[in-house]
Amino acid sequence: MTTLRRVAGKLGALLLTLFLASLLVFFSRFLVPGDPVSFLLRGRKPSPEAVAQVTAQYGLDLPPWQQYLNWLTGVLQGDFGRSLQYRQDVSEVIGDRLPVTLLLVVMAGTMIAIVGLTAGIVASLNRGKVLDRSVLIGLTVLGAIPSFVGSIVLIAVFAVQLGWFPSFGSGEGFLDTIYHLVLPSIALAIVFVVLVGKVTRSSMVEQLGREHVEVATSRGLKRGTVIRRHVFRNSIGPILTVSGVLVAGLLVASSIVEAAFGLAGIGTLLVQSVDRLDFPVVQAIVLLIVTAFVVVNAIIDVLEPWIDPRAAAGAGAR
Amino acid sequence: MTLLDISELTLDLPNGKRLLDGISLTVAEGETVGLVGESGSGKSLTARSVLGLLPSRATMGGSVQLLDQSVLDASRSELLSLRRTRASMIFQDPRAGINPMRTVGDHLTETMRLCEGRSAADAKAVAISLMEAVRLPRPEEHLKQYPHELSGGMLQRVMIAGALTSSPRLLICDEPTTALDVTTQAEIIGVLAEQRESRGMGMLFITHDLNLAAAICDRVYVMSAGRVEEQGDARQVFRNPQAAYTKRLVAATPTIVVARDTASAADAGTDAAGTSTSTATASAAIDGAAPASTEPMLSATGISKTYRRGKEPVRAVIDATIEIPRGGALGVVGESGSGKSTLARMIVGLEQADAGDIRIAGRERTSVPSSRVERLEHARSVQMVFQDPYLSLDPRITAGKAIEDALRLHRRLSTTDARSRVIELLEQVGLGDVHAQARPRTLSGGQRQRVAIARALAIEPDVLVMDEATSALDVSVQAQVLGVVEEIRRERGLTVLFISHDLAVVRRLCDETVVMKTGEIVERGRTIELLGNPQHAYTRLLIDSVPRPDWDLEAVAAEASELEDPVAQN
Repeated sequence: MTTLRRVAGKLGALLLTLFLASLLVFFSRFLVPGDPVSFLLRGRKPSPEAVAQVTAQYGLDLPPWQQYLNWLTGVLQGDFGRSLQYRQDVSEVIGDRLPVTLLLVVMAGTMIAIVGLTAGIVASLNRGKVLDRSVLIGLTVLGAIPSFVGSIVLIAVFAVQLGWFPSFGSGEGFLDTIYHLVLPSIALAIVFVVLVGKVTRSSMVEQLGREHVEVATSRGLKRGTVIRRHVFRNSIGPILTVSGVLVAGLLVASSIVEAAFGLAGIGTLLVQSVDRLDFPVVQAIVLLIVTAFVVVNAIIDVLEPWIDPRAAAGAGAR
Repeated sequence: MTLLDISELTLDLPNGKRLLDGISLTVAEGETVGLVGESGSGKSLTARSVLGLLPSRATMGGSVQLLDQSVLDASRSELLSLRRTRASMIFQDPRAGINPMRTVGDHLTETMRLCEGRSAADAKAVAISLMEAVRLPRPEEHLKQYPHELSGGMLQRVMIAGALTSSPRLLICDEPTTALDVTTQAEIIGVLAEQRESRGMGMLFITHDLNLAAAICDRVYVMSAGRVEEQGDARQVFRNPQAAYTKRLVAATPTIVVARDTASAADAGTDAAGTSTSTATASAAIDGAAPASTEPMLSATGISKTYRRGKEPVRAVIDATIEIPRGGALGVVGESGSGKSTLARMIVGLEQADAGDIRIAGRERTSVPSSRVERLEHARSVQMVFQDPYLSLDPRITAGKAIEDALRLHRRLSTTDARSRVIELLEQVGLGDVHAQARPRTLSGGQRQRVAIARALAIEPDVLVMDEATSALDVSVQAQVLGVVEEIRRERGLTVLFISHDLAVVRRLCDETVVMKTGEIVERGRTIELLGNPQHAYTRLLIDSVPRPDWDLEAVAAEASELEDPVAQN
């Protein structure tokens, strides 16, 4: 009952956030210099009639709120309008490129989880020792490398020097795509590993100092059991919260990596579309990223009571 | 048969600091042994060494023998089996000691399932029978509950049941009742004694509370600064302490025992306090210092406060009326949840009373001040000293600066005038010049609380509210702080509202006392009268719950205080 009400509440908040985001996404176009019509007619000397015709064709003569309503109605039916540069439906343009980006993000996410959690756990269990310090320094160094530098180094070493991995393109077929995406996903993961690693470490260290951990130890449980059932279990909350915030960062940072590796993904498309004032595509992608971010975080919010039972009791019992 | 034999145990940290210095103690089967001392004495460390729970880089010396197993050179697996079968430990704070993210059932059955390899159903059956043994009301239901759904007393029962799952021969209790109310403490002590009896376990009981140790232990060891100062039969040690440290400790421990002559004098209606008593504790109650005055310094009439959070509104304070004459000291006693802190917060202006009227020195102080001017005025009439000086002082500001800031907030003073006033205030609480430069981190708990008091007194408030202001302190430090407050009352006629759960402390400081229970004042009167002849059933329960040895502690206290005045021991 209360769980149902909580979920319903979260859903309401989610929809409201998405609505506000859609407003921001749509109307930001009017703040940006540049006019879609002149892009459409680029290279030609437009007659006033031609301008008026294109303007009417794309519905740009309507008042902004009318344009927003039209756009929103379309979006709700899966129609994001037509791309100005590709003269194709936006959903088609994005649909072609989405799988690569999604796969890239999923692969990078998996690496971040595995490497970040391992690094954090190892460091926390060796707190203050040489291993802890080397892990921390290693993480910090990695975190300081911008994605584009990381990409170039990876290409230079593993693609050019060693020739283990391809340096360009996204390949054909599923397995080949994965093979092509190994280096890009490493390049994408590097910066975020440091975040997950450090949060895991500090969250674990905090729990390690708790009295209930000492109680568990005093009862004769093996160290591994204590770490797993009491330390790591209780550290999940903060790690998950940070991971939720990472989602948006990953999607945005993927544009840099995609550019470096010549991948035809959402990221490169976004940069290109901003460059060419292809507003329908920009709006669709930004809305997509916002939606992904909000939905992932809403899911984490809904999971909260399972992670920390005290959260279910409400703020008063904390 | 000897269960535990610790001999010449030493513990050194890598930085050369010696935390335990030659501890020797034994616990026999069926025996309750007390380990008494103040914070930093090493009593918890000694107890933890029995289970091999030691700081990772410490160097150990001597030996710890638990039955036939030497603990200090036990292998990892020997250590595990020792913890699983021979000894269990009950920790101080069950709220911190039980994983908040797992169910009570998980806590109870965990070791049986994972260490003993019992089936879930089997482990559950054992858990239920143990929960019945420690008298938890609804075992089946508790299994599925999370720690935050149980009260502190119930959780401590869960902790005890958890420690008993392994049928230990030795039960180590590390301040198991310190975090609990006095009535709950009495129940928990009862459960522990019952289990020790029926299982024939040995018990090592760590506490800072002399009265508690005296009430339940056969033998006691008194520890200070990593050494055993004194040991022997509990009665002998407290009645006739030999070591100077034990004498000081006994003298510093407040008691609620009312000496017979005092009680009868109070019954007769004469003014007994401070004149006819010979005991050190009672003579502290001050009268005569208060000039007769018709108008009370603090009067709160019919104040109520209801919190509307969650499902049901909580009536924190219900129609409470208190009055303190100029220069008087009123104690408010009650258990957690009795509304005593809410009462204090309303008087200080941190909470808005729903109804009623609060007057300080005749001025209306009911509403929470909203503007800066109002806040300053309210602050001038009443100041509060909080429970934990570690939290109530800013760690980045020196003691002197903290006091100076309070001074300058209310008065325009030149730097030199302010500084000299700061020194005066510090001297008043028994500190000095050197402490003005110190940051809270470098001060001891007692020194910090004295800085907090000096800060509260800086602007010469009409009323000083102390909310559990000595609860976090060791007894000897508590005695110092109480001494400081008594002295200031004597010299300046300060009016004090003293909130505490500890009857003995209230008895030492306050002329009059009110007893609160679930938001209501159930009894009020002169402190000595109230303690000697309680009228309300709840007051009687509170008094009966206070652990006390079956012999007269007063005589020892009086004797010891003649030797050394604890207040002078800064």
